[in-house]
Amino acid sequence: MAERADDRLVRLLGLVAYLDGHGPVPVADLATRFGVSEAQIRDDVDQLWVTGTPGYWPDDLIDFDADAVERGVVHLIESRGLTRPLRLGTREAVALVAALRALLDSAPVQADAERSRLVASVLGKLTAATGEAASAVDVRLGHEGDATVDSGVVQAVTTALVQRRVLRLRYVTASDAVGDRDVDPARLITQDGAAYLLAWCRRAHGRRTFRLDRVLAATVLDEPADAASVARADAEVDVAAAAAAAGGGQAPLVTITLASPARWLAEQLATESVTELTDGAFALRLRVANPAWLRSLLLAAAPDVLAVDPPDVAADAAAAARAALAAYGARP
Amino acid sequence: MSENSSVAPGVPPAERLLNLVIALVNASVSMTKQQIRRGVAGYGDAPSVEAFERMFERDKDTLRSLGVPVVTVDAGGHSDDVGYRIDNEAYALPPVDLTSAEWGVLALAAQLWGDKALRTDMSRAMTKLRAAGAAQGEDDALAGLAPRVRAVGDAYGPLLDAVTERRTVRFRYRAASTGVLATRQVEPWRIAVRGGGWYLVGRDVDRQAPRVFRLSRIEGRVRVGQVPAAFAVPDHVDVDAALGTAGQERVAVLAVVPERASAVRARAVAVPAGAADLPAPSDRELVAVPFRSVTTLAEELAGYADAVLVLDPPDLRADVVRRLEAAAALADVPRQGGTAGTGEGAEHG
Repeated sequence: MAERADDRLVRLLGLVAYLDGHGPVPVADLATRFGVSEAQIRDDVDQLWVTGTPGYWPDDLIDFDADAVERGVVHLIESRGLTRPLRLGTREAVALVAALRALLDSAPVQADAERSRLVASVLGKLTAATGEAASAVDVRLGHEGDATVDSGVVQAVTTALVQRRVLRLRYVTASDAVGDRDVDPARLITQDGAAYLLAWCRRAHGRRTFRLDRVLAATVLDEPADAASVARADAEVDVAAAAAAAGGGQAPLVTITLASPARWLAEQLATESVTELTDGAFALRLRVANPAWLRSLLLAAAPDVLAVDPPDVAADAAAAARAALAAYGARP
Repeated sequence: MSENSSVAPGVPPAERLLNLVIALVNASVSMTKQQIRRGVAGYGDAPSVEAFERMFERDKDTLRSLGVPVVTVDAGGHSDDVGYRIDNEAYALPPVDLTSAEWGVLALAAQLWGDKALRTDMSRAMTKLRAAGAAQGEDDALAGLAPRVRAVGDAYGPLLDAVTERRTVRFRYRAASTGVLATRQVEPWRIAVRGGGWYLVGRDVDRQAPRVFRLSRIEGRVRVGQVPAAFAVPDHVDVDAALGTAGQERVAVLAVVPERASAVRARAVAVPAGAADLPAPSDRELVAVPFRSVTTLAEELAGYADAVLVLDPPDLRADVVRRLEAAAALADVPRQGGTAGTGEGAEHG
């Protein structure tokens, strides 16, 4: 897809302002700074070269040292007044400041005074530069009401990440089984009101996603993390899909039909498809390798569940519910 | 971005926009539309006055949305004499002096948004900051952190504009409780993200009261009112109070099967005095956990089935039992109609 004209304009203006303040700069450095290819920087220079004030005679145009450009160095000679970097637009300021506020408020940053100070400093500088427009969006990460994460666990996990050391976890799975395992930590993902550690699990010999509120204890070991294992574990992971897949094995397809109030499930689960039905009801198709996780989900959302396929999944949840009701009934 | 079909291939839009910025920055006083059409490269391509007007209006909006302060200057008398210029005082980004560690924080924050529109806004902001010559190097003081906020959808753009310009909005909304679709008219105050969900907090004009709307329940287009500054936003908008996520903390007392529900036990507090009087099966252990939202905790505890029994408080216990009763009837599905499981039938003591 071709680049949007407004995105390109922002970079073209930025290039001139940056070059005006920095003398000759190698094309490669500009490409790194602006996050584009060297070919794109050369295209941008060619574009700027034919741009200027009305009249568009040679003296009206933005100009570069042609010999330097031949040598791969961009040397601005004439900026036509575009010497200063453009301020942020309202929407840009909102996106930036809301992101920094969310980061500052997140558990991994709050767990460490030095990190909090650093993020607060960036936020202060950016807020000063962008003005007051930025309170329109208010984002909280990892504040899911009641499920709080032990700050000692967060501290240990973030320390292990920064120092690249092995972490020993005492973890309770979605099937409610507790076990110890050593992991090579790759990332701490905060999403949907919860935090997840993405790591290479030495016990399972594979990439695993650990919900931080299920980590009962975490200890940073002296042993350095294995870089190759970290690299294998480190990937852009959909934590919702990871939750459904945990437990390994095959992943059968399950269809759950839900009434309108359970709409949040459609947003937060990794679904194969969502089919809209009448009256706001909808059908989710999921791949679920973890029966314990699916049973918990059905018990939690049961009042809004209209149908489940295959039927044995529904029967399994119903049996668990009857056992629980019996326990309530048997209570003295 | 699609080009205007009325424009002959020639000057690309980015070049035309750049020429306009340079012309307006360098204009001695201001430029009229006529001068722009005749003088600025790219606008001569417009085949008619109407085509030029459309092109110029859109370009002006684009520049303003990017933060370029295009202002109108009334040259007095005739409307033909309205001039345009760029406010050079307001153009520049104030100096932002970031250390390389702080630049690393910014690079991490830039990864936050999962939404395309927000990513675009963020990446432009980053381009401008890079142009300001901020130090780079990106010290990794926050190594390994990966905060993420999921995509919000098409409603975000118009709602954000409406919030920042204080314009009333109108949209079709599907009520959570009933599934009924109805048009709502709202004075939007804040857009918020909690627990991964996107919300709009504002005043419902028809109900004359503050309301919270989940963005994923908005259907179709959001229509933004014509009048800016149409209402006042309260000085203190408490998003969490509006969402009910800031309820008072209470303590639940649970009877848990030994060795089970370790994730719940991990946040246990001391069992309150008096809980010993609660009738608990002798083969279970008493566990007390703090909570604010009955719904959130009930969902979690129902998932443990018979491993966790709620002894107190009664409203939490009733909510868990309600879920279990609905689940016990799941084998009888499919059910008809809306929500079931309101509590008839199954026995509980």
